[in-house]
Amino acid sequence: MYELMAWLEASALAEFLRGLGVWTYGLVNLVHILGIGTLLGSVLLLDLRLLGAWNSIPLPTIARPTVPLAATGFVLAVCSGVAMLSFNTTEYHGNPFLYIKLPMLVVALANVAIIQRLSAWRRGMAGDASQPGDRGVLAVAGAVSLLLWLTVVACGRMIGYW
Amino acid sequence: MSYRKNIQSALLALFFACMAQVASAHHGWSGNTAGEIEITGVVETAVSLSGPHGTMRIRDDEGQLWDITLAPGPRTHRSGLKESTVPLGETVTVQGQRNEDMEMYEAKVRRVIWNGKEFDVYPPK
Repeated sequence: MYELMAWLEASALAEFLRGLGVWTYGLVNLVHILGIGTLLGSVLLLDLRLLGAWNSIPLPTIARPTVPLAATGFVLAVCSGVAMLSFNTTEYHGNPFLYIKLPMLVVALANVAIIQRLSAWRRGMAGDASQPGDRGVLAVAGAVSLLLWLTVVACGRMIGYW
Repeated sequence: MSYRKNIQSALLALFFACMAQVASAHHGWSGNTAGEIEITGVVETAVSLSGPHGTMRIRDDEGQLWDITLAPGPRTHRSGLKESTVPLGETVTVQGQRNEDMEMYEAKVRRVIWNGKEFDVYPPK
């Protein structure tokens, strides 16, 4: 892990960013917040819908804006996150919040892949008649998703306070 | 229906409670509580204003190397302390708070004094 961190810290990207001026870190941080806002806002809407909120809105109708927005926010957050990390990467060596956050990020992504393969999700997205148990399956999926993303964001916020 | 509403309200309340918890944590000086400290030393790593805070390294006359944490880049810059202000090898005095972990030679400083000039990166209130 330390070797990987040292590599990022010494990378051309890190050197480039450090040379861009005193406001660079703040601006990259801003992009990170915009990414998180977009991601978590979209995730919140979709997951609460899966948990049973606004049942009168069909699943495809709420998934259409939220899924691509969440993906966009995720990409923004990852790019700016790597950039922020690159400034002083090795300083975060041993930071427990970072070490929880990164694997949780992978688990949260795996959860997205799993949800999209659930037959309950596929029926809901295709507008097919739901079968008994679908509602419960989707509610669990939504709860797990919400918990994972909140963990990622909470750990991310705490990195700087460790 | 009301049962579902309750679940929704509970989830929202939980969410906002988490966010409030996050907001109440304070970056500030939380890790630097080991008391006021004044260190005089020779600049070994020049002021850097990239990253979340400005930094520099100085070596005191007992040979100990100190990591000095300044204010965030723009704020340190505004105090007049720029990356090129103090040349390597110059002697500076810093005043601030030492890290509570006494095994770490790190201090977050309010003021850097060099060549008779005072740079108040965190001006006194």
